[in-house]
Amino acid sequence: MPVYNFKGMKPVPTAPELVDIVLMRTQRRTPTVVHPGYKITRIRSFYMRKIKFTQQTISERLSGMLTDFPRLNDIHPFYADLCNTLYDRDHYKLALGQINTARSLVDSIARDMIRMVKYGDSLYRCKCLKRAALGRMCTVLKRQKASLAYLEEVRKHLSRLPALDPNTRTLLMCGLPNVGKSSFMNKITRGNVDVQPYAFTTKSLFVGHCDYKYLRWQVIDTPGILDHPLEERNTIEMQAIIALAHLTCSVLYFVDISEQCGYTIDQQCSLFRSIKPLFANKQLIVVVNKVDQQPWESLEEAKRAMVQGLADDANCSLMTMSNLSEHGVSDVKAAACDKLLATRVDARVSGKKIEGVMNRLQVFNPAPRDGVTRGAFIPDSDGVTDGDVDMDGGNIRKTARELMWEGGGPGVWAPDYRDQYDLADDSWKFDKIPEIIDGKNIADFVDADILDRLEALEREEEQLVAESDAARMGEEPESDLESEEEAAVEAIRARKKIIKEKKLATNTQNKPMLPLSIRGKSKDKHDAGTLLATEIRKTMDSIGVDSSKMLERGRLLERGRKRERSLSRSRRGADDEDAAMDVDVSGLSKAALKKIKKEKGEKARRDLSQARSHSRPREPSQMGLKDSESVKSAQKLDRLGRKGWMGASGEGDTRKSVHLVKWMNTGKKRNGTHYQR
Amino acid sequence: MATRCAFENSNEIGVFAALTNAYCLTGIGGSENFYSVFEAELAEHIPVIHATIGGNRFVGRTTVGNRRGILVPNTTTDPELQHLRNSLPDAVVVQRIEERLSALGNIIATNDHVALVHPDTDRETEDVIADVLGVEVFRQTVGGQALVGSYSKFTNQGGMVHPRTTVEDIEELSSLLQVPLVAGTVNRGSDVLGGGMVVNDWAAFCGLDTTGTEISVIESIYKLSNRGQQSMQSDIVTNMRSSLIDQLS
Repeated sequence: MPVYNFKGMKPVPTAPELVDIVLMRTQRRTPTVVHPGYKITRIRSFYMRKIKFTQQTISERLSGMLTDFPRLNDIHPFYADLCNTLYDRDHYKLALGQINTARSLVDSIARDMIRMVKYGDSLYRCKCLKRAALGRMCTVLKRQKASLAYLEEVRKHLSRLPALDPNTRTLLMCGLPNVGKSSFMNKITRGNVDVQPYAFTTKSLFVGHCDYKYLRWQVIDTPGILDHPLEERNTIEMQAIIALAHLTCSVLYFVDISEQCGYTIDQQCSLFRSIKPLFANKQLIVVVNKVDQQPWESLEEAKRAMVQGLADDANCSLMTMSNLSEHGVSDVKAAACDKLLATRVDARVSGKKIEGVMNRLQVFNPAPRDGVTRGAFIPDSDGVTDGDVDMDGGNIRKTARELMWEGGGPGVWAPDYRDQYDLADDSWKFDKIPEIIDGKNIADFVDADILDRLEALEREEEQLVAESDAARMGEEPESDLESEEEAAVEAIRARKKIIKEKKLATNTQNKPMLPLSIRGKSKDKHDAGTLLATEIRKTMDSIGVDSSKMLERGRLLERGRKRERSLSRSRRGADDEDAAMDVDVSGLSKAALKKIKKEKGEKARRDLSQARSHSRPREPSQMGLKDSESVKSAQKLDRLGRKGWMGASGEGDTRKSVHLVKWMNTGKKRNGTHYQR
Repeated sequence: MATRCAFENSNEIGVFAALTNAYCLTGIGGSENFYSVFEAELAEHIPVIHATIGGNRFVGRTTVGNRRGILVPNTTTDPELQHLRNSLPDAVVVQRIEERLSALGNIIATNDHVALVHPDTDRETEDVIADVLGVEVFRQTVGGQALVGSYSKFTNQGGMVHPRTTVEDIEELSSLLQVPLVAGTVNRGSDVLGGGMVVNDWAAFCGLDTTGTEISVIESIYKLSNRGQQSMQSDIVTNMRSSLIDQLS
């Protein structure tokens, strides 16, 4: 169930205020420094940001208004109609619609202008475009002056509407002006409505609350209504009509039989008849008011019949009442509340929800299960049940709270809890009792005969143990197996045990592993034995095994292998040499010989030179460059690019250096020179 | 009379106080305000005692008792036990029990004749309860809740149970306890009845948030208003029925 609270709406600024707010925010929340020397992209983004930010602020503000104001289609029809009469539905919707249009206009302006700033080619042009954009947006806002002003008025009024819940238990008073509606309201609630002896004192709905039957009831006081067609009713009367039309409530129709209100009983009856359709499906009571001035019994027969006829026509009850003498006031309230409550309860009882709370609506009385009486224990002292202390006795004790305040308040004063001890002798109350004496906790010896009792207990236990032992001696634990079967069982168990132990012994998992170095040294099968070459040779020879390779390998392992050139190359080289030797040199010219020799030398050099197995990676700075030329040109470009820099800082970096102000730091000072003071 | 009060801004006064027909225990707070609420109502008739259990002030949840005795958990220290023994009348037995569930107030609900206990309590504890408190003991749950001491509260004259207890369960409990029962709430809809109020045969105290409807249910079911009116418990069925329906559903 929605709760209608229009008090939380944000104030709506006027158009000039809104413009100020928006521009101020843009100025404060976006960067302000830009120079013509900056890169053009930077200048453009600077101004685009300003435009975008302004647009966002405006759209945020306007959207806030649109969500704050209630949408008349979504709220309770009572409030929708009330808003219609008070603020004119069309005007209200138009104002909100215009705000919405303004928002989309501002959005499109910003979009267009940002697009144009993208083509701005200088700071000046960009700036002009920004000015134009902000100006156009503000113009759109200025045009909303009337809507904004109207919405602010609506907001103020809405926030002052009474907190009326359309769905709760409600009593509603209606009738012509001055018949005593507001006086009745003041009698049964603490609403404190203004009561004056002229018509239309009450100009709007007023809400008060009263309690009846453990429940809270909402009481609504309406402005008086005159007897004329609906079209002619003014705003004040319409509020009463709307409340009557939309709220499910108990209606009290007030009739002033003294006619002091200025309307005859006839007029009052005709009003009743004209608004009678509004009373359909409502609990209605015709309240005959001001009986202190004109008693109901002594009223003219014709008039009395007329009023009585009203009640009979509408099939409702008629009650007499006087706000002045308070005759019948609470009766009227009770009757109205009872009627409404009865219908509400009927509606609930027919629903399904009631079944869930049936256990809370009935008292479950026990069926007696035995003849035992289980009575209450209420002390016989005075005033037990009514809770009153005998005031005549004069010996009213001070409570601990009073004593506490007399003694200095909480945290300062605390009672001595021993004061209320219930002991045989009052003088024992404040005795000091140690916790421990002779290393023993005295609480363990609180019984005088505790040792005797312990002894008795132990004796009893011993006896019990002895008894149970004796009982066990008498009987052998018998098995229902044959002797052969038992033997088999024994055998199976023994075997199982062996299997288990074997498994444990061979299991390598989760056991500590010895490192090889330590394991080798120990005197076990892994022991390598002596490492002396002569010994090894002797042993191996005796076995008949060639020990040369073994020894060489051992030596290599011992020394650590040196890096050496693979044998293949030198072998190949030797082969080539041999091949070259094979060439027949006889019968060749000197030049040819020279050529052959040269070729041979080159070939040998090429063979001897080692090919790189991997290409060397390039420096990171030269990655992706084709050759040394391009590397050089890249370095040059880099150097040139850094020309405007101071060290590694760029133009955007803010610097804060020691600022020496000349006039403060030069020349003579009053006493002595600058350096000598 | 039902009285609204709060212990240092907490509505759960059943946590900080324990009330029986023979004595009342209150936890030691920062001030004497809470104690004095009980003192003003009860001190003329029964002792109202400041107490701690195991150094803690939630005495209402750790202890349980009736007019014959009081059970305290094994966390109670010897000086505390001594203090209780000295303060309580001689007719009241103080017994420290070795129960695994030490919040005795939560697991045991009792009046002077019958007790409900949590289904998981020890057999020995059950015997001690029967001996010390002189009651018949039933292992039961209330509305599906095993913590019978938290979710039900009954005196010799009437009782309230968890609002979700079914009609059949209430009938069964009522015939066990031999007192009229109703399902209800305290503290504006709280179902923790044992935590939200303390009641004996002539006085009740409930949390500050308790609504008028709840107060009137409490007063009528526990027969607190006047001893003259015997048919008060039927108020719930007759006078208050429509208000209850309108408020609850």
